[in-house]
Amino acid sequence: MDFELDDDQREILGAVERLLERHAGQPRATELAAKAEYDHALDEALAGSGFDEMVDLESRSGVLEATLIVEAIARAAGVTSFATHALVARAALGEAVAGPVALSAGDPSAPIRFGADARTLIRVDGDDVRVVPLEAGDAERVASNFGYPFGRVTHDALARGRALGAGSSATLRRWWRLAIAAEAVGTMRAALDCTVDYLKERRQFGRPIGSFQAVQHRLADCSVRVEGSRFLVYEAAHSRAPEEATACAAAFALESARLLFRETHQLSGAIGFTREHPLHVWSMRLHALGSELEGVRGHRRALARARWGVS
Amino acid sequence: MEFDWSEDDLQHRAEFRAFLDDFLPDDWEQLAEGGPGSDVQAAFSRRFCRELATRGWLTQHWPAEYGGKATPPWRHSIIGEECWANGEPRGPQYMNVNWIGPAIMRFGTNEQKAHHLPLISGGEVLWCQGFSEPEAGSDLVALRTSARRDGDAYVINGSKIWTSYVNHADYIILLVRTDPDSDKHHGISVLLVPMDTPGIEVREIPSVVGERYFHEVFFTDVRVPTSVRLGPEDEGWGVVSYALQYERVGAARYARAALTLDRLAEHARERGLLEDPLVVDRLAEARTLCEAARMLTYRVIDERAHDHPPSTHTQIARVANTRADYAVGELTVEILGADALEYGSFADANFRLAMTAGVAVGATEVQLNLIAARHLGLPRG
Repeated sequence: MDFELDDDQREILGAVERLLERHAGQPRATELAAKAEYDHALDEALAGSGFDEMVDLESRSGVLEATLIVEAIARAAGVTSFATHALVARAALGEAVAGPVALSAGDPSAPIRFGADARTLIRVDGDDVRVVPLEAGDAERVASNFGYPFGRVTHDALARGRALGAGSSATLRRWWRLAIAAEAVGTMRAALDCTVDYLKERRQFGRPIGSFQAVQHRLADCSVRVEGSRFLVYEAAHSRAPEEATACAAAFALESARLLFRETHQLSGAIGFTREHPLHVWSMRLHALGSELEGVRGHRRALARARWGVS
Repeated sequence: MEFDWSEDDLQHRAEFRAFLDDFLPDDWEQLAEGGPGSDVQAAFSRRFCRELATRGWLTQHWPAEYGGKATPPWRHSIIGEECWANGEPRGPQYMNVNWIGPAIMRFGTNEQKAHHLPLISGGEVLWCQGFSEPEAGSDLVALRTSARRDGDAYVINGSKIWTSYVNHADYIILLVRTDPDSDKHHGISVLLVPMDTPGIEVREIPSVVGERYFHEVFFTDVRVPTSVRLGPEDEGWGVVSYALQYERVGAARYARAALTLDRLAEHARERGLLEDPLVVDRLAEARTLCEAARMLTYRVIDERAHDHPPSTHTQIARVANTRADYAVGELTVEILGADALEYGSFADANFRLAMTAGVAVGATEVQLNLIAARHLGLPRG
């Protein structure tokens, strides 16, 4: 047991944070969102520095390092499928596929995160998993307010691709859950930091809003949820995404994400809903993350199945 | 970061579990339903803790000079988890080994250490905590119980309230005001008072939590030598702040809540309620709260293992434990329905312990204040 970053982890996290300072961040995310664009330049920068393949996903510490990178990218509001192509696809498929990578499950006509930008789609349908290389014309962009570029993939394309063997659906879901939870953690941390900073400055009734106890308790509760989510995710990553721990981390983190959205917006007031204020860059994404794999409901069902054998 | 238990720790847990299976009586679950302060459990704790002491497990985390083995804090936390999950057979003595002993080590005189520490590490003594007063609850610093200096003695007058375990205790760790002109943090001292000192009167406050759970303790011209003072005169607030950092995560509430939840899931299965997706959803939600509380509690233990000064991680863990305890308590009552209403039933016994979680050892709101100020850096109101 050791809750502190070791030297390798500190070094990797420091390196990715330095890269993100140059290539990501809220202004960049806002600029891309206005054009509904994917950040290919960020992917190139990450790949150029070797982050895609830096960590060994066969090792426990490697998965933890990849998860820390995913969290850092989410904090910096990176518009990239890194979590999917560098963590989920590599770990669940055992090989790298061409990125960006989009993931799809459930309703085939639903908007897919990065669906219009992806070169590979991984489609989960019940027990089946198919890996679909996407070509021009396979997807169309879908307008969305939820912080990422979305696309809809044609039914023809969804039916293509190679099918993976038995058991790959459960494996894919485990890693997908870990990735969503890690992204939620980074996004929540940034949304909370943004709100706390604003409430220290914003004055009403002659004092900073953040000095009111009614406000403080709610922010403190948010930080309990964020800190709990963080360490559940780290533990799940370190044990290489087992069913129960990943479902638990995702269920807790995505439930926390709903609370974080509600509280950060309520406490930021009207300015929090504007494009000029940074909060929406993270907050809107929380609900997008919460929609994947049937959201909290799906994660809780997976947890109950793993823990108590509920069918 | 890494989250594996060491081989030694795993083996230690297995050994301790085997010992519990063997040592706890068959009807322990019923015996333990009265909580750590019940007559049965207080009496059993003397036998149980002496056995732990004999096996070198009671205070293994203490330094060698005080009879411990200076094991990493993780080792003691495993005992805490297993004990809480099993109805805390150490009874009130979990407080002694978690924070009263360490406070005496840090602030005690040689005489105090020589007298008290062997009693605690031998499992021979029960303590209670005299902090809250009728007019000093969450605002502990408002306490008024006085200890007037009279030569080499203090004369104590006043009263304490909500005191658990006092009916069994040999000693009370008492907060008093030694400077009669003070009203803030300065002027408070800590006294280690034998409960058989003349002038102490105990009265039970009947409550819905359980029998002999709360008490009021009255001090009328109670005369003790000044040598019972722990730490410097008038500067006892520092002593108690130190002790409270250890106390607030002393109880592994998440471990008990998680075990209760597993049992509840079995009850739900027997009643066919696991077919109901709403029930399953709630069970899983409660499980996430227990797990989050476990990880946040571990982070506090880790902080101690690294010898870092206590931080707001303690309060964060404490709030998470409260949320978990409450969620499981409520769900137990809800799922078991009318069966929960019978006194002493599984759901009732659990609910009575869970319902005090947000108030015992410092109200949740006080913890949230500290998180807001120190963790988030929000300005004072």
